[in-house]
Amino acid sequence: MHNFGVLLRGEMQRLVRYKILQISFVVSLLWLGILFLIGSDHVADFVPLFIFIDVSMMTVLLVGANLFFEKQENTLKTLLITPSDFVALLASKFVSSLYLGLQSTVVIALFAVLMFDVSIAVLWLIVFVLLITCVHTAIGFTFVVFVKDFNGLLAFTIFYMFLFAFPSIFFMLDLLPSSAEYWLMFSPTHAGMLMINYTFGEDVAWWLLLLGALYLVVLSAVLIRFVISPKYVETAVRE
Amino acid sequence: MAKKVFEVKDLRFRYAKSNVEAVRGISFDVYEGEIFGLLGPSGAGKSTTQKIMTKLFRDYQGEILYYGKDLKNYSNAYYEDLGVGFELPVHFSKLTGYENMHFFSQLYQQRADIDDLLNQVGLLEDKDRMVGEYSKGMKMRLNFVRALLNHPKVLFLDEVTNGLDPKNARIIKDLIQAFKEAGGTVFLTTHLMNDVEELCDRVAFIRQGEIVEIATPRSLKLKYGNREVRVEYFNNGKTETDVYPLDDIGTNKDFLSLIKDKEIETIHSGETSLDEIFIKVTGEKVDA
Ligand SMILES: Nc1ncnc2c1ncn2[C@@H]1O[C@H](COP(=O)(O)OP(=O)(O)OP(=O)(O)O)[C@@H](O)[C@H]1O
Ligand SMILES: [Mg+2]
Repeated sequence: MHNFGVLLRGEMQRLVRYKILQISFVVSLLWLGILFLIGSDHVADFVPLFIFIDVSMMTVLLVGANLFFEKQENTLKTLLITPSDFVALLASKFVSSLYLGLQSTVVIALFAVLMFDVSIAVLWLIVFVLLITCVHTAIGFTFVVFVKDFNGLLAFTIFYMFLFAFPSIFFMLDLLPSSAEYWLMFSPTHAGMLMINYTFGEDVAWWLLLLGALYLVVLSAVLIRFVISPKYVETAVRE
Repeated sequence: MAKKVFEVKDLRFRYAKSNVEAVRGISFDVYEGEIFGLLGPSGAGKSTTQKIMTKLFRDYQGEILYYGKDLKNYSNAYYEDLGVGFELPVHFSKLTGYENMHFFSQLYQQRADIDDLLNQVGLLEDKDRMVGEYSKGMKMRLNFVRALLNHPKVLFLDEVTNGLDPKNARIIKDLIQAFKEAGGTVFLTTHLMNDVEELCDRVAFIRQGEIVEIATPRSLKLKYGNREVRVEYFNNGKTETDVYPLDDIGTNKDFLSLIKDKEIETIHSGETSLDEIFIKVTGEKVDA
């Protein structure tokens, strides 16, 4: 993990300078605005949903945008000719992304607790949010190594939402039969949604949570090991 | 004889999605303390070769030794020895010049004085401006500073003077020269003959992934240059031109009587310029 500290500090500094942190924060505020308009009757349903959308879709987009910035400026490549460990390079980017996910979660959750007296299993929320952000960071990386430009990233993200996120949201709003759940378990999105709902007091079987958590861990590991790592250098160097 | 820094033997490389090799079995040595130029037209494989030697591409065929040891056996500590100047852009545009340098500097064990380097390239006063606001010449000079942050032993420079005005190009060339004089080794790629003529101790011509010639700029001129003397003189109200072989010119009666009797306008020894040699050797026109 040679140079991890320096790299992470660099990542955090750039989150601020490239206004990614600020954008993420403003999006959290938008969620708060919507929650405020929705009012206390439905808050219990929508707080988990908004947290979820933020740490999944927003993560994919922000990670992707960030990587494209860096690719354009060739700094991904420049970092590869320094003595830094490759693992440290990836880790610094993952940790800065986890930070963003956590920040949004804290903002939304705190607001919900203070304004609407929602009760949350805080520790589990943190653990699950980190997991979900991690897997979606890996998905963002994966999209970037496969697409050529930012439009490609948008297209992939939208496609991903239709394929995985919307069915879960429909299911949550009881628009799909309950038998659909077995199929939905293959979606990292659905696994994530179950976890977050659980932290807001919904009944979720413990084995389903465990399975979901395992799934997200394994999926992150597989993407990092078999997709991101082998293709990262090629992506960074490609002009 | 100076030590060999690099020994490149029968190097081959093919891009994943390509069915032809970008580098097709090239071999050369780079000696300690020299400026070695890799020269060739666009698409010849210069940047590719450099990316292999800087370990960005690792699945090549053939062998590269760095100080006698296989490059594949070096860890990332190899990069402590290297300074690499890529083609632009290479910086975080929303950080200042100094912030960029400070960040990269911290990644190395050895750290040069940043202000001192910035001063040498005339960027000290602009160090707190965003790199995004820098001109191309300024970015190029900053790129050079970044390459020198870790007191490297070897400098890899890819087209570092490309597109620079003469003043900026001069600054960079002087710094390359100074780096060499301090004992450093330089591997540079370029398609500018000017760079080669002014800087390189030895130059390899590369064309379609193959090296077609390795020599000193001087011996190239001798080999490909026409050794001849061209005399323009005034005769019967108009300018005429005669050409004589340079060998034994001192005893060439025609030549001697010409310069004795006629009104001479110009005399040029016909060394072919490196530009012309470039076209001869690579079969392609040099970019301006
Ligand atoms: N990522 C890539 N995938 C496939 N082929 C590539 C890739 N990058 C370069 N090539 C090809 O490899 C060959 C060598 O390219 P390279 O960039 O090394 O040339 P170069 O000599 O540096 O040219 P230039 O003077 O334009 O920088 C070219 O034919 C180029 O089209
Ligand atoms: Mg090139």
